[in-house]
Amino acid sequence: MTDWYFANLVLIQATLTGLVMALSVQVPLRMGVFSFAGVGSYGVGAYAAALLVIHMQMPALAAIGLAMLLTAVIGLLLGLVIARLAGLYLAMATVAFDLIIGVVATNGGTFTGGSTGLYGVLSDFTMPMMFILTLIVLGLVILSEHGKVGRRVHAVRDDQQLAASAGINVRRYRLAAFVASGALGGLAGAMNVMVRSTIGPLDIGFGLIVLALTMIIVGGAMSWKGAVMGAIIFTWLPTLLEFVGKWQTLLYGIIVATAAVLLPRGIHGVFVDLTRWWQRRRREPVAPPPAETAPEPDLEPLMTGPTSGTASSTSLLGGTA
Amino acid sequence: MQELVSTISLGSIYLLFALGLSLTWGTIDILNFAHGAIFMFSTFTAYLVLGHIQLPLVAVILIGIVVGAVLSLLIQVLAFEPILKRARTKRSAEMQILIGGIGIATIPLAIAEEQTKSNPFGLTGSTFSVNVWHLGSVRITNIAVLTIIVGLLLWGATALWFRRSKQGLALRSIGVDSEVSSLMGINRRQLALVTMAVSGGMAGLAGILFTASLGAITPESGDILLIKAFAIIILGGVGSMVGVAFGAFALAFVETLVLTHTSGSWTDAVAFGLIFLVLLARPAGLFGRKEVRRA
Repeated sequence: MTDWYFANLVLIQATLTGLVMALSVQVPLRMGVFSFAGVGSYGVGAYAAALLVIHMQMPALAAIGLAMLLTAVIGLLLGLVIARLAGLYLAMATVAFDLIIGVVATNGGTFTGGSTGLYGVLSDFTMPMMFILTLIVLGLVILSEHGKVGRRVHAVRDDQQLAASAGINVRRYRLAAFVASGALGGLAGAMNVMVRSTIGPLDIGFGLIVLALTMIIVGGAMSWKGAVMGAIIFTWLPTLLEFVGKWQTLLYGIIVATAAVLLPRGIHGVFVDLTRWWQRRRREPVAPPPAETAPEPDLEPLMTGPTSGTASSTSLLGGTA
Repeated sequence: MQELVSTISLGSIYLLFALGLSLTWGTIDILNFAHGAIFMFSTFTAYLVLGHIQLPLVAVILIGIVVGAVLSLLIQVLAFEPILKRARTKRSAEMQILIGGIGIATIPLAIAEEQTKSNPFGLTGSTFSVNVWHLGSVRITNIAVLTIIVGLLLWGATALWFRRSKQGLALRSIGVDSEVSSLMGINRRQLALVTMAVSGGMAGLAGILFTASLGAITPESGDILLIKAFAIIILGGVGSMVGVAFGAFALAFVETLVLTHTSGSWTDAVAFGLIFLVLLARPAGLFGRKEVRRA
């Protein structure tokens, strides 16, 4: 076990940072905020932590904490500015934000190390710290999926007007999504630079957005379990797929495209559907006449959302923006 | 003066590329993230063909248009149509199309990167050669002239088709309300296929002209151009034909300005910053109609 642990330490570390980064995109997505800003926060967090360690010899946890604070504040400011955008416009604005971070890092001169980036980030960061930090944020994310907060998040995602009429401060929830995304992204970036000791503009490019999306979409966008599955699969798949070698990117593309078309709710969604089907079967031991089973009601309308037909009719009543 | 010429020829390339993207986004609500990959892969196919036989520029352009249109149709049939058919809400469909497009875009990119080892490739096998003409103090290449003419003509034709033809009217009605347009007897599927083919063909054409005037492109060129096209469309307003032309030339102008007055690679930041500023100040774009999105 210890042999295996040390032989695969790099992959274990990558799984943890990958998981936190995936959560930084998934948390806003779960609130209906289509933001990729977590990836930009990852870059800011990584650079901030690296600079704090290099120039001020800060201990790892303090540097990570400050980097997270910085990215959370940036997330809040970004949220204040662009939270009123919706859907694709929001997605595009956050992609632009991520790419600007990369351009700034490239043009930052000696401060950011230009196109080579920063290296030699050596600190007192240990693996127990990494595990504990990851478990803490994962625990917080799990908490936000249950109970009162979880139900409110569902409502904010599925119908903002309805949520607002039920007394939920939608704007505050959407802002919270930006702050959480910023802090999570910052943590992922800072932890990554602590274990890798280098960071460069190439590490925070468009590919990182694709990776985060891949993890979430294939794993499942609506639950932390999806992010965990996605992070594990896409960190360990490359070693399992060594025989494909250079065709790895190609395979990733095919997997993402297929998942987006066929399994929009990811592997986690398939599990949910299977368990539901299994429970339904157990509840009905004797096969009832087909006429009664035909109109199966949706067990969890909030999860799946209204059908397109009802969506347009309710929206006509709901008025225009 | 020289800057003006480079602005106009760069702007024409942007226009050709962004026009197709704007057409699908503004009407059938498909934000095709694979548009840049289509642009790149059409050129890449032409490059492969030119490795075997020498062809005149017209034939190369035809290859680009056909490959672009076919790729675009394939993506529509294999990915976007199934997504639209299965998606429960418009928002989830939009998201799936975006993510599916990102996934699809990596496929041609991976193929081209593997074949070229990520090196730039050009259209050197063509019988066409770049000539420089001197008009007083201004230098202009024959391919730049061709690009400007083709870009403006195609833009004019598309705008006219969009405004005046029956199909254009049908397309615009889909853009306003796709369900009601179906009730009025518009064949949405067929129209979407036509639009996607036109859009892909434009991407292929832009790829050939861009590569011919620049000499060579890298497999990643499409991605950068895609972000710039988003900036152009957002600046002009989604679905607006005047807007996309204005956006293309405005971006080319600012980029040329930044390029001549600063060092380093800040030019890319212009497009990203522009997306941001416009979305803040005027989310509907300069020429966009007010968004009447419901739900």
